[in-house]
Amino acid sequence: MTLNIHWRLDPAADPQRSEPGAWRPLPALARDRRTSTQNRFDYYVQVAQAAAQTAFDGLFVRHRIAADESRIIAAIVARAAPRLNVVPEFPASVGSAVYAAKQATTFQRATHGRLAWAIAHDAEATDRLAEADSVKDGDLSQRLEEFLTVARGVHEQRPFSYKGAHFEVKNGGFDAPLNRVPFPRIYLQGEGEAALALSARHADVHLFQPATAEALANDIARLNALAKGCPVEAGLIQPLLVREDRESAERDAQRLPLAPGTLIASYDEAAERLAGFAASGITQLVLEAVPSLEEAYRIGQHLLPRLRALTGVAQQAA
Amino acid sequence: MSIDFYWRLPTHGCHNSIQTSGYERGDWSPLRPGNIAPGLDREGDADPFTYIDHLAAIAQAAESVGFQGGLIPSFPNTDDPWVISSLLARETKSFRFMIAFQPGFGNPVHTARMAASLQRATGGRLLFNIITGGGGPAQLWWGDSFAHDDRYGRTSEFLDIFKGVWKSSDFSYDGRFYQLRDGGLAPVLQGEEFPEIWFSGSSDAALQTAARHADYYLSWLEPFDQLGDKFARVKERTATLGGEQKCAVRVDLVARATEEEAWADIARGFDNVSEETRQRWRGQATDSVGAARQAALRPTDARRYDELIVAPNLWGGFNLLRGGPALGIVGSYEQCAARLDELIARGTDAFILAGTPHLEEAYRVGEEVLPLLGRQAPALLAAAE
Repeated sequence: MTLNIHWRLDPAADPQRSEPGAWRPLPALARDRRTSTQNRFDYYVQVAQAAAQTAFDGLFVRHRIAADESRIIAAIVARAAPRLNVVPEFPASVGSAVYAAKQATTFQRATHGRLAWAIAHDAEATDRLAEADSVKDGDLSQRLEEFLTVARGVHEQRPFSYKGAHFEVKNGGFDAPLNRVPFPRIYLQGEGEAALALSARHADVHLFQPATAEALANDIARLNALAKGCPVEAGLIQPLLVREDRESAERDAQRLPLAPGTLIASYDEAAERLAGFAASGITQLVLEAVPSLEEAYRIGQHLLPRLRALTGVAQQAA
Repeated sequence: MSIDFYWRLPTHGCHNSIQTSGYERGDWSPLRPGNIAPGLDREGDADPFTYIDHLAAIAQAAESVGFQGGLIPSFPNTDDPWVISSLLARETKSFRFMIAFQPGFGNPVHTARMAASLQRATGGRLLFNIITGGGGPAQLWWGDSFAHDDRYGRTSEFLDIFKGVWKSSDFSYDGRFYQLRDGGLAPVLQGEEFPEIWFSGSSDAALQTAARHADYYLSWLEPFDQLGDKFARVKERTATLGGEQKCAVRVDLVARATEEEAWADIARGFDNVSEETRQRWRGQATDSVGAARQAALRPTDARRYDELIVAPNLWGGFNLLRGGPALGIVGSYEQCAARLDELIARGTDAFILAGTPHLEEAYRVGEEVLPLLGRQAPALLAAAE
């Protein structure tokens, strides 16, 4: 199966980039022509265009309450970066499942079907209360299940009726032309049997956290066993710190804050490692590194060609 | 005094003309030669344009002739205004996006975050037409099972929170429908102007909620005396609550160089209406008071277009020709401008205008009618009456 490779934009990362309120003043001798029409979205668009130009298949946009909302970012960058798939991440607490699905149809219609959804983990109880989300801990997985059932239901069936604990619809369902576009592909994440079982029922892709190839192969086998007839793709979120050679990567690792599970390696080593994951059954990679823009170019220009060469060969051999 | 003029983005396709029932722009009708967005390429396949490309053209036309922006309506079979606004944010310059939104459809804090993000992306060009009515089977289609007056209570609480978290990091609220503790937008999102709120709804519950939350009270066009009374009532009620309410009208225009041309276009459009459309015109179940007020206007079996002229330059059959309200203005450029002047004299502070096709009519109304405003043309009005 083809390996799909996405770049991940964290809207809260590089917070001073293209943020008008955080501009560093130029010294008086340099004439400053920056205008009030410049804004943070210029940066998001740049990252998306970098990902598109370096042959990533898609762009994930993280859910961050400290920054701009992911679906707004996704629509704006989708219009500015033709052909790039966009995957905003958001929690099931955003509101009506019908409305979310309806918004997705406009997105799909305007972008030739380039939208997918990544569902974010629910926040802790106190943070949910700060978000006016009063669903109890024990009810969260039920809400997510209903959210996905209703969203897909109104997209694919008409009439669609449903009465759950969190969502209720009567004689719903989208009509033509809204229902001619595909429902967004669903990316779910989470550890443990319950999360895998939920993915087996609702996801197109289950995203795993960084792990060894053996551990991933185990998890993928569990996922496949649960999914039975309708296979769920396995994806991996992989933070990277890659450089021309291992020594440079390790040196930079000393002075940069790193996400857990960051792969520190040379381009060649990283390509081999990721190809190994692909051989274990990973078909979707979500790569990230900061700063988002420079690293998109670095990884797109240096790592992706190596990785695609390896997985292409592996495919022919298999 | 200055008056704000908005246009409308048609979110359910657009007709080539007010005389045709097919949607030749967009994909709500079967794709035929001559259709646009999408159209057919030389091989007879759908070209890569989609309806958003046509909406972009309308928005750019509207901003170029001086409209502040446009209302972006939301119904079950339309495209969505949030997504449209995001997609067009970077290819418009001054166009303000008036998003029609039912508060029950979004979590209030997350919705505030989306709104602040869009404000940041557009340089503060976002505003809302908050809708609560509708109701009946349509409300359950949307997955909303709240009763009419409860929906207004929920709207009110939603807007309390929306406003509360806008410039705060520790806002708390204990309502009937929402509870939150120490919530608020992230500091980087807090610098934005709070979006104007335009409020629709004609029931008592609506007027009460509008008095508390709305910058503008928005009505469909009604016969001028009736509308003037309604606006006076709204302003009075808000004043007793210690607030100030501006009033706005949304109205379709058929403006032509002469009155004869305008009515001739209406007559041809009326004659083209199918029997099926006439049947549908007789109405659907709703608990919306606004829809009922419009329904009361319409004669059930008009055979000629001029049976629907309810006052000079005022025609009650627009919903036969396209979706939306029944009443609209028909006349010469001068007459249309004079009628708008008359509405201003009766308390209208802002307008959402529209005409079909929306692209060409944005130019026509912007270039031919708006420049004639403010001339107070009593002679013209008297001539028509």
